Amino acid sequence: MQASRARLFKEFKEVQREKVADPDIQLVCDDSNIFKWTALIKGPSETPFDGGIFQLAFSVPEQYPLQPPQVRFLTKIFHPNVHFKTGEICLDILKNAWSPAWTLQSVCRAIIALMAHPEPDSPLNCDSGNLLRAGDIRGYQSMARMYTRLAAMPKKG
Amino acid sequence: MQSEDEQVVDSSKAETTKTCTQTPEVDDWANFRDDDIMQQQSAIQAVEADKIPFVGDKEPLSSLAAEYKSGNPIILEKIKVLTEQYAAVRRTRGDGNCFFRSFMFAYLEHILESQDRAEVDRITASVEYCRKTLLSLGYAEFTFEDFFALFLEQLESVLSGPEASISHEELVERSRDQSVSDYVVMFFRFITSGEIRNRSEFYEPFIQGLTNTSVEQFCKSSVEPMGEESDHVHITAISDALGVAIRIVYLDRSCDDKGSVTVNHHDFSPVARDPTNANINNNSNNSQPIKPFINLLYRPGHYDILYPNN
Repeated sequence: MQASRARLFKEFKEVQREKVADPDIQLVCDDSNIFKWTALIKGPSETPFDGGIFQLAFSVPEQYPLQPPQVRFLTKIFHPNVHFKTGEICLDILKNAWSPAWTLQSVCRAIIALMAHPEPDSPLNCDSGNLLRAGDIRGYQSMARMYTRLAAMPKKG
Repeated sequence: MQSEDEQVVDSSKAETTKTCTQTPEVDDWANFRDDDIMQQQSAIQAVEADKIPFVGDKEPLSSLAAEYKSGNPIILEKIKVLTEQYAAVRRTRGDGNCFFRSFMFAYLEHILESQDRAEVDRITASVEYCRKTLLSLGYAEFTFEDFFALFLEQLESVLSGPEASISHEELVERSRDQSVSDYVVMFFRFITSGEIRNRSEFYEPFIQGLTNTSVEQFCKSSVEPMGEESDHVHITAISDALGVAIRIVYLDRSCDDKGSVTVNHHDFSPVARDPTNANINNNSNNSQPIKPFINLLYRPGHYDILYPNN
């Protein structure tokens, strides 16, 4: 418990320092609980998520950093490796490939990379995965684009 | 038997990777999440933990023989041969960290008993070199410094200085305390990863032979995560990085053509290295291979600690 708190405090200070270096990620710690974080990440360019802002919720276990943080999308997203209802993310580093060398910040970077490079062969969202597996890139992109517009962009007017 | 226990853990690991794939046939899949799987996995691990602590008690080799009482005759024969050289065994939990855990305990116990201050000074310099290596590889210091600090703290505590060293019971207790034991295991994982990546051209062919992945991918998926089992690549790397010789004694069913039984061992002897720079001195004629003070027993899939006869 004490170890995880100390580590998170270091990450907090690092995040303040790195703010300018990584403008695509805005990582914020809950005011009253250092084990709860949220992040706003920019959808990567040249993907259907471009222009969208996606919110992630982090829940950090007491065993951190020996155990990974739990992360999920709060913003609806149409992506093969994100559960459409729960926002759960299928990413190896959040499961069995986790190591303390990762940080909350680098997890955000890995999630942005996953948005740009979906892995349709281990889908949490089968509809999305099947479009890609069937080679229907256009279908996938237009669905993903639609949900980006509906859920991840500020309402106009 | 150990191997069965490990299969339980292994199948739960396979389960975790499978969960990423949604099967349409399962109607209530939406309610069945990775968190549940991870909880189930940690429940299985908790059951394992009840069976054997991270580091067990010292047991006579006869306890090993008892395990194979109605088992393979070659193994029993080999245990007999083993007793000529070794007196006791100390088991470790089969959780994928057994090599690093065995190494941790055997090393700290050796320092506690030998009070070899020169060795402590030597390894401290090696650790400092490893710290610089990780920094030069681009690791953020705050991600690994806690693990380094905890290891150095253990090292200091087993050596009598102005304060008396900790007792042997205390060392056993700490090795069973997850908040110490897992941190030291993780420290070794950082050291091993740094060494492999720092000398990637040397390790690449071995890694290619094992997994057909890049050196970096291997370190990320098979060295740094807790619970990933160790192979000769890991052992070579940690031996070189820390400058500690390790003897691995093999207990398996192999025998020669005539059916006669010998127990093989392999010594991992660290390359001679000046801890102040990266150059490895390959033609150091003056360095005799040292007899390792760390003796580990390898049975396919698992490492325990061995104690030689005195």
